[in-house]
Amino acid sequence: MNLLLAEDDALLADALQQQLLSASFKVEWAENGAVAEYLLKKQDFDIAILDLGLPMVDGLTVLKRVRGAGRTLPILVLTALDALEHRVAGLQAGADDYLVKPFDFPELEARLHALLRRSRPASLTQQLRQLTLDRAAHRASIAGQPVELSPREWTLLDLLVSERDRVVTKAQIADAWGSDDGASLEVYIHRLRRKLDGSGLAVRTVRGLGYLLEAAAS
Amino acid sequence: MNGRSLHRQLLLWLLLPQIVLWGVAAFGAYQLASRHADELVDASLLQAARALARQVKPTASGVFVDLPPSAQDILAADPEDRAMYSVSSPPGQLRLGDARIPPPPRSAPPGEPVFYDAAEPEPLRAVALDLHLSAPGAMDSTLRVQIARSSAPRDLLARRMLLDTALPLSLLIALMTMGVWAGIRRGLKPLAELQQQMEGRRADALDPVQLQAAPPEVRALAGAVNELLGQVQQNLDTQRRFISDAAHQLRTPLAGLKSQTELALAAVDAAADPALHQRLARVHESAVRSARLVSQLLALARTGPDAVAAQGWAPVDCARLVQDVTAECVPRALAAGCDLGADISAAAVSVQGVELLLREALVNLIDNAVRYAGAGATVTVRLRRAGDDVWIDVEDNGPGLDPALRERAFERFVRGAAAGEGCGLGLAIVREIAERHGGLAQLMSAAPHGCIARLTLPPI
Repeated sequence: MNLLLAEDDALLADALQQQLLSASFKVEWAENGAVAEYLLKKQDFDIAILDLGLPMVDGLTVLKRVRGAGRTLPILVLTALDALEHRVAGLQAGADDYLVKPFDFPELEARLHALLRRSRPASLTQQLRQLTLDRAAHRASIAGQPVELSPREWTLLDLLVSERDRVVTKAQIADAWGSDDGASLEVYIHRLRRKLDGSGLAVRTVRGLGYLLEAAAS
Repeated sequence: MNGRSLHRQLLLWLLLPQIVLWGVAAFGAYQLASRHADELVDASLLQAARALARQVKPTASGVFVDLPPSAQDILAADPEDRAMYSVSSPPGQLRLGDARIPPPPRSAPPGEPVFYDAAEPEPLRAVALDLHLSAPGAMDSTLRVQIARSSAPRDLLARRMLLDTALPLSLLIALMTMGVWAGIRRGLKPLAELQQQMEGRRADALDPVQLQAAPPEVRALAGAVNELLGQVQQNLDTQRRFISDAAHQLRTPLAGLKSQTELALAAVDAAADPALHQRLARVHESAVRSARLVSQLLALARTGPDAVAAQGWAPVDCARLVQDVTAECVPRALAAGCDLGADISAAAVSVQGVELLLREALVNLIDNAVRYAGAGATVTVRLRRAGDDVWIDVEDNGPGLDPALRERAFERFVRGAAAGEGCGLGLAIVREIAERHGGLAQLMSAAPHGCIARLTLPPI
């Protein structure tokens, strides 16, 4: 996965490069806005991390120019400014997501993966512990054994997997199903839990909110 | 030392001279009335004495008083105004009349009357007139005629005159007091207004004092106060801007530091070099805490009245807010071993506010509960309507908070016993945000143990 990191603070850039490398990204580092703009226009990256406070050309301008040049890659904006108007300006200029410094690396990694999933959702065959999701064929298997899923169960599992470790609310599930079927939701969850046995994954109930897919306690 | 009220001082200093004047006037009027009454009485006494003296004829053997009994009766008989008379010759030796009239205190040359007051046998006003008698064929002699009248009628007259003067005067004073009081109140009204405006003020309300049509003296005072308020406001703004700028500047290096220590921690084998690992862990912890502090400082700078006014005020759906924020906090809570959930029993409740700030407040409360309740605890975010209020409660079943610390917990940089990475600004921020929204933030005990942090907000 090719990633452009535009960040002028050497200390942060160095650490991020290391962490991104160990998260299996190929990282190109641009330490000012001009270089970042040039690289983004000339090379194909899968994703970019863009600091807003860049020297020479500021991040927001880089973002507008890159989008102006027709580049559609997902761009995550890093900012030390977190006032509402700054966030809005960043998103309006074409950022796909933003993260306020200082941040936790796992959070950054999760967001990068989420952006990548969104930019190329169909082609993914996802492996999570013992569970494999073939999104093209709407098929799931655990340790190579196919799992029989009804269309609703598939939608539910797909949603939980793509939002793993985050709360999926009942409203989100109803949206995905296209119907507000709150009463039967618990039945589906119950069935799904049984079918996920041995996958190394568990569906946790979050009181009053919804459900969350997490690694099962071993 | 407290000064006395301006109203009272003005009233005192305006009325005191009047009361003194009133006293002097009353005393003077009484003296004048007494003198006039005395003059009247004295004139009639002298007249009577002269008339009596004319009836006295010297004889060879002494004197003869030609006073018919009917005349004696007239002199002595008026029951309202009894007169006593005596004729003595030589003075002191009674010839006719009442022996009880005391002698005059001094003697005067013949023909000159002596007026005097006497106390016996009753309060009297008396005149003594000595006359030299000489007639052919009679021996020379000195004659004293005394007439006395009770002084009660005269005193009565004087008192009545005093009353007639003093009563209207007193009434006048009373009316004047009321008039002066009303005048003072009216005159000092702008001051009262100023007081009201200053008293009803929150400590951080720095908008200028408004005084319409105030007299120049009060306007000058209000102007001085406004100037001071303006200066304080400016200082606060500068300070807040500085904090905000400094925090922004600190964020990037702190992010770098944090990432580097994260990396270093991952690189060091805890089993091979536990001391180094522990040291690095401490550096990392400190970096994390600094990062948090910087974020909180920024949040605090954002909760200033001007900063809040500049942000977007809009109706905020409470159920959505609680749901979103709680859901967002769940992964963190799970990582800390806490069971975080929501209990939303009030649907369709909105408050007017800044969503970003309300989120910040709720995140702070949830983070606090997770941190202080510790692993294994249950934390529940409840949304309820209570009468005219909206309650957002964050309840945990942790060890709870020492009641002594409950109020102080909202002060800046006060941290609980197990603060960990807390920087002591969270609750201060929550309270500021609640107050900016016309609500309040409280900490209570939960049964059987634990803590409830309550955000009370006014719904739309």
